[in-house]
Amino acid sequence: MADRIILACTILIAVVYLYATTLIPSLEIGDPLGPKAFPRMIGIALLIAGALLALEMWRERGKIAAKVEGAALFDPRVLKVLAVVAIWIGIYYSMLEGLGYVLATTAFLFPLMAWFNRGKWLANAISAIGFAALTYWLFIALDVRLPRGVLPF
Amino acid sequence: METLTHIVNGFSVALQPINLWYTFLGCFLGTIIGVLPGIGPSATIALLIPVTYGMNPTSALIMMAGIFYGARYGGSTTAILINTPGEASSVMTAIDGYQMAKNGRAGAALAISAVGSFIAGTIGIIGLTLFAVPLTTMALKFGPAEYFTLMFFAMTAVSSLAGKSPAKAMISTILGLMIATIGIDLQSGQPRYTMGVPELQDGVGFVIAVVGLFAIGEVLATMEDMVKGVRPEIIKLKGRIWLTREEWNRSVKPILRGSVVGFVIGVLPGAGGTIASIMAYVWEKRASKHPEQFGQGAVEGVAGPEAANNADTAGAMVPLLTLGIPGGGATAVMLGAFIMYGIQPGPLLFQNRPDLVWGLVDSMYIGNLMLLILNIPLIGLFVRLLYIPGGILMPLILAISTIGIYAINGNVVELYFGLMFGVAGYVFRKVDIPLAPLILSLVLGGIMEQSFRQAMTISGGNPKIFVGSPICVTLVALSIISIFLPLILKRIEAMGAKAKAE
Repeated sequence: MADRIILACTILIAVVYLYATTLIPSLEIGDPLGPKAFPRMIGIALLIAGALLALEMWRERGKIAAKVEGAALFDPRVLKVLAVVAIWIGIYYSMLEGLGYVLATTAFLFPLMAWFNRGKWLANAISAIGFAALTYWLFIALDVRLPRGVLPF
Repeated sequence: METLTHIVNGFSVALQPINLWYTFLGCFLGTIIGVLPGIGPSATIALLIPVTYGMNPTSALIMMAGIFYGARYGGSTTAILINTPGEASSVMTAIDGYQMAKNGRAGAALAISAVGSFIAGTIGIIGLTLFAVPLTTMALKFGPAEYFTLMFFAMTAVSSLAGKSPAKAMISTILGLMIATIGIDLQSGQPRYTMGVPELQDGVGFVIAVVGLFAIGEVLATMEDMVKGVRPEIIKLKGRIWLTREEWNRSVKPILRGSVVGFVIGVLPGAGGTIASIMAYVWEKRASKHPEQFGQGAVEGVAGPEAANNADTAGAMVPLLTLGIPGGGATAVMLGAFIMYGIQPGPLLFQNRPDLVWGLVDSMYIGNLMLLILNIPLIGLFVRLLYIPGGILMPLILAISTIGIYAINGNVVELYFGLMFGVAGYVFRKVDIPLAPLILSLVLGGIMEQSFRQAMTISGGNPKIFVGSPICVTLVALSIISIFLPLILKRIEAMGAKAKAE
């Protein structure tokens, strides 16, 4: 099942990519190939790779083990948690510049740790605050700029 | 003679106090992050790139090389103690290393891995020193057509040897090439596939892709295990970190054999450390008088693959430095870092910046020694890192990834790109699409297209130029062989299994 989805996605990506290639404006002066030739080649190569995958799937078709494994590949319960984590990361990114690195990072880390490392409130709090403050200080010392945000330092 | 002077001068660069400090720091940080389960050398180097922003290129590259072999080394500790290799090349170490640890010989397994790594690493660097110059002399004859076919060979080799399915590896390679075409075309000035997003005009930064695919993707995969309640069993380290005389005697030959295998495989593009350690393991099992002990905690089964794994690190630097072509994921990240500092590795670098090249190579001798000195007494400390609960560690890695991406341009949009790569990395892991080919072709894609177009301009649009010289013909032949290699390997495996059954 998973392989069928990969195959469909591969073909879709190749087709969209090849279509987008036709939209590149090109003035072919002094460059006989222009900006489209190489992308066209790799677009076609992706279609060939898709065909190879189809061939592999056809050869493996009799093996039941592979199919069972495919069905259990994505557990809905796990996916829900991971989707929430991904959204939470997105929220963290959107808050990073407004709140500043130290506050945003602490606010990001603590709930995640509270979920994945349950019940250890003190260790989680120390890790979240300590890490945010320490890395901020370290990277400023290394001349790497991190957003300061609402804090005065 | 001139080369010898450069090599000696390289030591004067490597021995400067500031560079000694960065060698140490690289080895130390590399080992620490390498020990953490789930983060391999590629992600480690990418995550630590921001640390080097304020440095001069020589020191930065010296530190990054230290991170590279430090992380390789750190990965074996994880393999031995929790049976979770940080990356594929430590898989073979885990087989007997973990059994040794279970039998109460964890200290011996870690010691043999440290000593073996040191010997193999040093042999590998001697090989690097010897082979670099002849290869650069040959590489000076390379024109755009030769470079194109060389990169084509590197990609076919990597994709044919990575993962279980050659088709999926090929998909991964081509996706990398496609991502590399995003941005303004350097020759014509036309934007390609930018979809009107200004952040895409300069293309997708490789750090964003590497951090997303390897670090964020790995964190998501580890979190999945945590949700499912999968918990690795950590073996407690007891007693001295040293070997008995008998264990040492049994390890010497495997270390030497492993070093040679590792270096040779490392020089060739492909799956590198993984193939090297598998070959070393198989070799030791064949050579052993007690093959039945393998898988039950045979010290040779740790010594051989560990040596191969570390000699491979030095071997992999050969094509990277002399040709500017990485042979795998981690060296591709190294190449990306070189380019970020405005340095193009290759034969001209040996002519124009001998101080940098030989400073870097010589720092590896010192770094290897440092790793040995650092690891025997400090291993107990490194092992403690394994006791950090995943629930704390994984969120911290996400925060470090954020710094790694944000520090490049201070742009939040790039963080979202990183997150997208992270989700993709997680899905790719689940469906067995290997990631190393994607990174390799993402880093090489731009140069590959340029050399393709230059070659075609030179030939007036005639594709025969790609088989127009003996070097090209050889490389094209090698590429074709490597495309069919998985089939040949399967045959050999089947023959081996048949022989075993009989």
